[in-house]
Amino acid sequence: MGLDYYKIKKNILRARKLVIRGTGAAGSGHPGGSFSMAEILGCLFGSHLRLDPKNPQWPDRDRFVLSKGHAAPGLYSNMAVAGYFEESEIDTLRKFGSRLQGHPDLKCPGVEFCGGSLGTGLSYSIGVALAARMDSRDSRVYVVLGDGESDEGQVWEAAMTAAKYKVDNLTAFLDRNFIQQDSYTEKIMPLDGILEGDDLSEMWKDASRWKTGDKWRAFGWNVIEIDGHRIEQIDAAIRRAKETKGVPTMIISRTIKGKSIEHMEDNPQWHGKAPDPAMIPVINMELDSQFMIAPSIIAGDMANLPGEIKRCADGRADYIHLDVMDGRFVPDKTFDHTKIKELRPLTGIPFDTHLMIDEPARHITNYIDAGSDIITVHAEVTDESGFGEICDRLKGAGVGAGLAINPGTELPEWSYKFLSDMDQIIVMSVVPGKSGQKYITDTHEKMARLAPLLREHGFAGYVEADGGINLENIGSVFADGARVFVGGGAIAGQHDARMAIHGFRDEVLRMRRRILLQEADRQGGREMVQKWIGLHVVGKKQEQIKKIAQEAGLC
Amino acid sequence: MLAEPVMTDMRAEYARSLIEVGRKNSGVVVLGADTTDSLKTAAFGKEFPDRFFNVGIAEANLVTVSAGLAASGKTAFASTYAIFLPGRAVDQIRNNVAYPSPQDKKGLNVKLVVSHGGLSVGPDGGSHQQLEDIAIMRAIPNFRVFIPADTITVAALTRLMASEYGPFYMRMARSKTPLIHAESQGFEAGRGITVRDGSDCTIVSCGITVRMALEAAETLQREEISCRVLDMFSIKPLDSGLLEKAARETGRILATEEHNILGGMGSAVAESVSESYPVPVRRIGAQDAFGESARDAEIPELLKKHGITSVNMAKQARDLVNEDIS
Repeated sequence: MGLDYYKIKKNILRARKLVIRGTGAAGSGHPGGSFSMAEILGCLFGSHLRLDPKNPQWPDRDRFVLSKGHAAPGLYSNMAVAGYFEESEIDTLRKFGSRLQGHPDLKCPGVEFCGGSLGTGLSYSIGVALAARMDSRDSRVYVVLGDGESDEGQVWEAAMTAAKYKVDNLTAFLDRNFIQQDSYTEKIMPLDGILEGDDLSEMWKDASRWKTGDKWRAFGWNVIEIDGHRIEQIDAAIRRAKETKGVPTMIISRTIKGKSIEHMEDNPQWHGKAPDPAMIPVINMELDSQFMIAPSIIAGDMANLPGEIKRCADGRADYIHLDVMDGRFVPDKTFDHTKIKELRPLTGIPFDTHLMIDEPARHITNYIDAGSDIITVHAEVTDESGFGEICDRLKGAGVGAGLAINPGTELPEWSYKFLSDMDQIIVMSVVPGKSGQKYITDTHEKMARLAPLLREHGFAGYVEADGGINLENIGSVFADGARVFVGGGAIAGQHDARMAIHGFRDEVLRMRRRILLQEADRQGGREMVQKWIGLHVVGKKQEQIKKIAQEAGLC
Repeated sequence: MLAEPVMTDMRAEYARSLIEVGRKNSGVVVLGADTTDSLKTAAFGKEFPDRFFNVGIAEANLVTVSAGLAASGKTAFASTYAIFLPGRAVDQIRNNVAYPSPQDKKGLNVKLVVSHGGLSVGPDGGSHQQLEDIAIMRAIPNFRVFIPADTITVAALTRLMASEYGPFYMRMARSKTPLIHAESQGFEAGRGITVRDGSDCTIVSCGITVRMALEAAETLQREEISCRVLDMFSIKPLDSGLLEKAARETGRILATEEHNILGGMGSAVAESVSESYPVPVRRIGAQDAFGESARDAEIPELLKKHGITSVNMAKQARDLVNEDIS
């Protein structure tokens, strides 16, 4: 089974937009803490919680308890995406007569816990988990705690109780975003250690200072520490927790408060503040502009692919791009599914398998079974019925479905009907088969032709740019609408893959900031541009964005 | 003359009743916080080890774990001393038990049963003498609040709480208490009991003051003052009908309790009759004060210091009657 990566990713995007919509309409609420836990809830609601939104009281359901109840918009948005109620109900958030109370409330069917007063959700979850055990139900309980709320003594009363009673059907997440209402957690009440300066990254960079895991281990818990924004890490941690018997599991998830919106990220101001409704179009554009870097390992040392995987992982790549060539569809041969299967245990990072092979429908199962998370086949060697069959098989296996087109190929008309369900489109900007070729500049026009077509047919997936992407062109390719970038020679071909990935991100970020400034200008002229710049108060963001605005003639 | 009282132990009766309801209903679970030996609920744990949880000295956790169990269909009895439940975990009681209301229900199915209420706790001193619990608990929506006068009441109310959905608070005394009621007595939430009829004055009492009120009534009878005595064990819901009737028929009310006079049962009685049939009301109880240590034999002295005696009850009732005549 694949990760269902794109399904979860799309759900998370929808949920984040609903948080903005809801808090914007309410004029108050807590977007920061809703966004730091967005991936955790996306994974739980998208692929782990056993529930039936049409029958919220189903006795055998899994229970989700939001202990950090102020992040209610994050919960409601995921419930809306899961189908508990219409998305439009989010407009009633925090309003008189609404089921969507300021803090989660049983008034809304599907909500399991009235949160708000902090520090109590873990105790409650223990009670729920013990009841399930008494009744021999195999339902599990998941609870999300905040790091600020860990100041509450009751959390630690509960920590001891869960260990004493061996509550192994309970999985807790700590949303470790380092920010509570007044300031950084390490300034108010340190969980790891005292923060000396004002730079939060000081705590992030130095793993030897992370003491929170030690605390939970000392309380007798199985502790797993992850990056709480990486779907594959969250997924793997949940699976490990399910297999752990005799002790409860705490998944310490390092997260970023306000994640995905630059001006909210790591900014204590956004603990409990609603976005200005006038800014929402720009914010939504930023949410739509999340991007992934996918190094292609065949551009590295083909004789040491495990080493290449490690370099990608160290560089915090989003995907591992696997170019499968069969010597028929393209002249070269690289590797097949047996190699992928061999590489799979080396990393949890999603495998983005690009099949440059003839008769993909015949081989697709092998590539699913090998552990791919996304599989893309070529339009040149499939047709409507073949691709339909491939899509069904991929969806059934939790694998993202993609279609690739060569530089000389237009998106075939038969593919339009699949677009709304499709996860990825690879637009090749070199002739496939060899790495080290130059980006074909005609691709820009092709992307311009493609964009309205994709919109018209409801494509909600991601366009992946593949071929000759480098630091010079990546910004313009992003501006064309690509959101996933395959890095061949420019990443895997580099001595320092980590810095190369970093460089890719910086370039995309620069272009994204420029596009968002242009959108602000379009929405509300120079005044809005100034406001947008003014929102970015953390670190050096403001100067950097101001400079971009000046270069673009926007201020 | 009243007969010599038969003294029995409320905690022992509570524990015995818990086992009885536990045998009938496998959904009954019992939780404690390192006082299960004192509360005698440990016996339940012996018989039903899988349905008994001792969470240690962690009252907040005690309440919220109970709430979680109740949210999954269990009938949770959580017990410790009065001073550590409403006195300590009011947030958890309010937000985790009273407030969460599943469809068509009010609050979660948690029963908070405490012992060591009031001044009669004795030697442990003022820090342990809970005199504010009724004020706290009756202000929280969805809770029903009981103070039983004897072990017959304790047994009946334990059965009642096990069979009726919803949050309850029941406060027991530490020391043995005199039997007041007959085995055949029925108990219902919101129904006070007339333990002695009378026409000149009504003493409303609860817990240990019921016996004192009866003694006061006995004294007053010798002075040809006819005194009615009510056992108002159900403080919330309150039996407003019975109070109105008493006001109408006896014209004077004296409320007596082992609690601060601010916000307690006396306040509830005054609130009720002032709206239904206003008559003079006096209150006996701690006069907005704390208690202090007293060895068991000295507890009557401690109670006397706060005016909680049959002598003072007789005096106050007599004054009420005389005031009226003059």
